[in-house]
Amino acid sequence: MRALFDFFVKHGSAFLFIVLEGVSLLLLFTLSESRNAAIMTSAGNISGSILKIRSSIGQYFSLKDENTALAIENSLLRERLWQYESDSAFMAREQMETLLSNPEQTVLARVIDNSTRHDDNFVTIDRGTIDGVEEGMGVYDSHGAVGVVMIAGSRYSIVLPILNSRTSLSCKIRNTDQLGFVEWKGGSVYEALLIDIPYQSNVQIGDTVQTSGFSWAFPEGLMVGTVAWVKHRQNANTLDIGVTLASELNNLGWVFVHQGTPNEEIEAISELILQQNN
Amino acid sequence: MKVILFFRRFVTLLLFVLLQVFVFGRINLFGYAAPLFYVWMILHMESHMSRSAVLLWSFFLGLAVDVFTATPGLNAATATLTGFLQPVAMNISTRIDRHDTLRPSCESMGWRRFMLFSMSLIFIHILVYFILRGTPEQNTGIFVTSVLSSFAITFTLVFFIDLAFSEKADNRPV
Repeated sequence: MRALFDFFVKHGSAFLFIVLEGVSLLLLFTLSESRNAAIMTSAGNISGSILKIRSSIGQYFSLKDENTALAIENSLLRERLWQYESDSAFMAREQMETLLSNPEQTVLARVIDNSTRHDDNFVTIDRGTIDGVEEGMGVYDSHGAVGVVMIAGSRYSIVLPILNSRTSLSCKIRNTDQLGFVEWKGGSVYEALLIDIPYQSNVQIGDTVQTSGFSWAFPEGLMVGTVAWVKHRQNANTLDIGVTLASELNNLGWVFVHQGTPNEEIEAISELILQQNN
Repeated sequence: MKVILFFRRFVTLLLFVLLQVFVFGRINLFGYAAPLFYVWMILHMESHMSRSAVLLWSFFLGLAVDVFTATPGLNAATATLTGFLQPVAMNISTRIDRHDTLRPSCESMGWRRFMLFSMSLIFIHILVYFILRGTPEQNTGIFVTSVLSSFAITFTLVFFIDLAFSEKADNRPV
């Protein structure tokens, strides 16, 4: 017994190293994408509060720029309102009225932390489960799609933006209705890649890329970006399409969280297919 | 006295966490180089500290940085390994068994020895950090560029700031 005690005392630091390293790796590989990670990340209440204070100070100094951006946005909205008022298409009017009559479908949130310099970037917002934010909900700003909520803490949430190698947004090209996925492979923060569009598609530079509406995260037709370039992928029957992102993801201020409702039947079928494929 | 030392070290830890998260964490030169400046605190832990104490301080330093990011455990795992190797690297660099206190720096070790000591630990720290973090599509080119550029910027920051604050940065024996 004494020998065992001496052994532990002699090699105590080695055991401590193994324990601490084990705890760290356990956190890294099991918690990084789970709900429990909220407390260990910037979605936690303490770190979220500190990030919010810093964000408030930063926003105070950028008030002038924000005012200019709001004025521009205001004039664009006014222009769109005139177009809407002159539009006689009854369906479009009905759809917009339905959207406007359900303001609870969106949650306004402030971006309190935002990284754009890594391969896997994250955005932290000051709204959590008590505000109705849940994992999987889509996030967008006044220009277009931003990303999807990855971890929802009680008061703060972490969003997986388009600028993350794990993000894959189901999108379509407006003119052709061709479906594909918008992903990011690193590099410019203003450009992403649209993949899985068939080679035969008639895609033009400047075409609008928008959400397909095939996932509950985003409604159909939300702006993602515009086609910047088109290349034929080698040894494949698909195109690689560069997309200039509509949102300036390195300059986010206020965002909206889309409170879509998951269709349980579709989710169940999707899970079944995934299980069968595995 | 121990309480004061503990409190000082705790304040230092908070300072390095805030510096890393709000200053150095926002630097990204050429899209690859990410300075992990908080490693400074691990490098400068004194020789009289027990290995377990160095390990615990390193672990909590890394964990505190992780709390402000969305990668729980990444910096904690890396910092714990660096904390485990720090006393070993210090023994090799100073070459003699010391019974008095040594706080690694250009001033106490001489700039050549401190350079070797900090280079080896910073390189291992950065290498392990990027191995655990991974790169998009396992791209070796991006991995190598990220490791080398991040190592260069971190080492430059640590070494030259230390050199600037050292009054007698000569190569005297220790």
